[in-house]
Amino acid sequence: MNMILTLIIFIPILGALLGSLVRASIPLLRLLAIVTSLFVLGLSWILAWYFDPHAGMQFVHIAPWIQNYGITYYVGVDALSLVLLLMITLIMPLLYLYMWREKRHGYWYNMMALQTGVLGAVLSLDLILFYLFWETMLLPVFIMIGRYGNTDNQYNAMRIVVMTIFGSMAMLFSMLYMGYLFFQSHGFWSFSYNDIASLSLDPRTSIVVAAGFLLAFAIKIPLPLFHTWMAPAYGSSPTPAVVILSSIMAKLGIYGIWRFGFGLFESTLEYYVTPLIVFALIGVIFYAIHAIMEPNLRRMFAYSSGSHLSLILLGLMLENVYTWNGSLYLVATHALASAGILIMIGMIYRRVRSITIDDLGGIAQVAPRFAFFFSFFALSIAGLPGTGGFVAELLIIIGAFKYSMIVGVFAALTMIAAITFVFWMLQRTLFGAPSTVTAGFQDLGRIDLLILTPLALLLLLTGLAPSLFTQLFEPALLEMLQAIGRYR
Amino acid sequence: MLYDLFLVLPMAIVVIGAIVLMLLRFSPWLSVINRNFITIVILGISLCIDVLHYAAAPDTFVFVDIFGHGFVVDTFATLFDMMFLGGAMLTLLINNEYFKSRNYFDGDFFALLLFGVFGMMILAHANELISAFVALEIASLSIYVLVGYNTANPKSPEAMMKYIVLGSLMGALFMLGVALVYGETGSTIIGDIYQHIASHPHTNHTLIAVGGLLMIVTILFKIGAVPFHAWVIDVYHGAPLPVAMVMASTFKIALFAITLRIYLIDFEPVYAVWSQSLQIITALTLIGGSFLALIQDNIKRMLAGSSIVHAGYMMIALCSIGAGDKLAASAIMFYLISYFLSSVGAFGILSFLTAKEHKHLTFEDFRGFGFRHPYLAVMMTIFMLSLAGFPSTIGFMGKFYIFVSAIESGHVYIALLGVFVAFVSIFYYFRLIAMMYFNKDEGKEQEFAFDTSTTLIFLMALLTVTGGIGMGLIPYLPSADGFMDIAREAIGSLVR
Repeated sequence: MNMILTLIIFIPILGALLGSLVRASIPLLRLLAIVTSLFVLGLSWILAWYFDPHAGMQFVHIAPWIQNYGITYYVGVDALSLVLLLMITLIMPLLYLYMWREKRHGYWYNMMALQTGVLGAVLSLDLILFYLFWETMLLPVFIMIGRYGNTDNQYNAMRIVVMTIFGSMAMLFSMLYMGYLFFQSHGFWSFSYNDIASLSLDPRTSIVVAAGFLLAFAIKIPLPLFHTWMAPAYGSSPTPAVVILSSIMAKLGIYGIWRFGFGLFESTLEYYVTPLIVFALIGVIFYAIHAIMEPNLRRMFAYSSGSHLSLILLGLMLENVYTWNGSLYLVATHALASAGILIMIGMIYRRVRSITIDDLGGIAQVAPRFAFFFSFFALSIAGLPGTGGFVAELLIIIGAFKYSMIVGVFAALTMIAAITFVFWMLQRTLFGAPSTVTAGFQDLGRIDLLILTPLALLLLLTGLAPSLFTQLFEPALLEMLQAIGRYR
Repeated sequence: MLYDLFLVLPMAIVVIGAIVLMLLRFSPWLSVINRNFITIVILGISLCIDVLHYAAAPDTFVFVDIFGHGFVVDTFATLFDMMFLGGAMLTLLINNEYFKSRNYFDGDFFALLLFGVFGMMILAHANELISAFVALEIASLSIYVLVGYNTANPKSPEAMMKYIVLGSLMGALFMLGVALVYGETGSTIIGDIYQHIASHPHTNHTLIAVGGLLMIVTILFKIGAVPFHAWVIDVYHGAPLPVAMVMASTFKIALFAITLRIYLIDFEPVYAVWSQSLQIITALTLIGGSFLALIQDNIKRMLAGSSIVHAGYMMIALCSIGAGDKLAASAIMFYLISYFLSSVGAFGILSFLTAKEHKHLTFEDFRGFGFRHPYLAVMMTIFMLSLAGFPSTIGFMGKFYIFVSAIESGHVYIALLGVFVAFVSIFYYFRLIAMMYFNKDEGKEQEFAFDTSTTLIFLMALLTVTGGIGMGLIPYLPSADGFMDIAREAIGSLVR
């Protein structure tokens, strides 16, 4: 059982390696990708089945790696990473289905490598191992944006790489420094999460070191001021890459703050709470305004995703039991909803070669099924009652009101802002008379339905029966809150 | 006596081979490929004997009655010998196709290369400053001539002139430094100088400090540290590719061999004098090298510029040694290996490509490379990632050890600067990756040509990755851990 995480991480890249060794044809490659991702999906469900919500870190696998510096191959899963794991493994097969007719080899290889990168980052508990996955997952994204993207894609690919690596280099420095401090106090090297977490740092060092980590995560999320790569990168990415950017990689930034920010710097984070709350509140409004004004659908949902991630971060920083539950729940449900909407935007692009709102209109008349799903996902992003997003946002907003009236009001503004841009966008794309572009709009085919139905059903299920899912992670979150002395 | 002869056999073989090749200069039976093959065989035999020596872990002065304590055979020197020999062999093997494609590689080329390797080996063994100087000059003179070997290309003699004028001046400075040190200590033997300094703790050793500084300046010039870097890019650009490879890899390793020996043993008591200035030079090298690498359009020049940055990284660890962390020397050795693998790999791909078409490769020439040569492009990507210090390659491990050593010895700001420079380097390395993959090319995909060059490049790419992942999954392949242990053992044999 303790090999199961290793299998989950490495099966995708092994599939890619196998494919490249036999120079697989497209059908074989497609088969490989789908089979490996389904296998990983199955494994993660087995994992969830045997997962004990009260037991902390589980399925731990430790192997020596670079012994001179005590770096280990250390993977494990707890409630936090389980949520992300389930989300990633669910989205990947759907993305492969979306790529069904894709004829370019590199596309498939990059996606498989990317899956290994993100899974590894979620599951690894050794700092250097985490850094390895955190960096390597950037490379496929770089190639996919630069190679298969559109409009200024090469420039934007370079920009996302340079900006995110700037953050990760800061994080690397912090990691090395903490490893050294551990060596200084214990006499041997270790970079494992537990050891570093047991380190007690003096406040000044700790503030500086924490800044390195936070910078990396802030750029990945991205917080306002660190966001300049986001809209261009989303705008010029191909659809699978943009889904991964928005649904998975941005969430990894949140995961990083949760795991490493609260895990390693629980007392130091106090100094950062107020600025981060302010950043998050600014982000909520700033991105929402951008989203309202944006004429390009993909960039609009880039900004909308920024707005929601700010809300998630806000919930995380308010540090009470409602907002933490809400945040983790929103991580998962927003990933599903934004995967759905971004895939559908990709479908629009495939059909009419344009995703500018002004070109579209009247889709509902020619493609009713498409219009139904499109509005469902868009509304679930806006927090339609009955979908998971509503539950999660409600929890965060309740928690925000508990924290302070002003923060609560600002947090509640996200819902209003989201509803504003979603409804206006729906009105302009789906309704009215069909434009010349959308006149022959093809409705959803069988494969399209196969991709979208699971996402939609799951969103409904998370909305109607949240307790089914929250019981997975609620005990662990309570425990974490108690550990940082914030359980009231 | 006989055992002493056995100990110096690797060097003897190399120098005899060089002389034989020189005498066969006009032999009509030997083609370039044959000469290359003979050279490789000579190096290979020498390497085998060195492996035997390494296993026996000798630690003696040889020919004491002739040289006194001037010539030592120890684990440290033997390990470096193996690195030179292996490096030179790899360079020659990879360039097999390149030699065939150019008409200016005649008999002397290989003889000179062997003389160069001989000089480097003596340099690693020299335990006395004058021998070190002579060895350094043997190696340098060979390299000077090799740089100017392509007389048809005006850039090549120009590069040689630039290099030789500056290089000889620096050689004179080294000699002056030796004289000053001798003036105070009355000896040029490394151990004796140490004894002298240690036994006179209350004098301020002005002559030794100044003399040592002059010697260090020479070495900094040779590795291309920033105030002394003016020659680097032009010389790399003008030199034939195989020579640029030797300079970037083998010769640089040799320079660090003598640096470590002098620096670790000799001047330990007077580190404090240079510590500050060395740190400043390190910072300048890191920043200046990055600027130089950033503005280049030609791949060869970019690699030359980045070689300055890599020298800077190694100087970070040199600073840590100055702060008392002697094991940082093993970080330098590891870094040398990692840099060797990735830079020779990258240069190797350049030489493989230019063997087919006669032109200087610019970034533009790599447009669509990923489609014309998918396998070579993957390898080039691996080498670029390794040079950039991307995790999962050996370059990351090298940087990891360097930065950790800096933090360990308290040079947090230099480590921070190093991390920042590593970030800057992402730009110029990723630029090449972007060029290779981002642009569709009309050219057809070409078959992967299996020959010595490509096979070796493939092997090096494999080593770059396994060294970085370092799992030791595959037995007998050097992993990050294993090599670090070897390096530590070698340094341990030096520092007693």
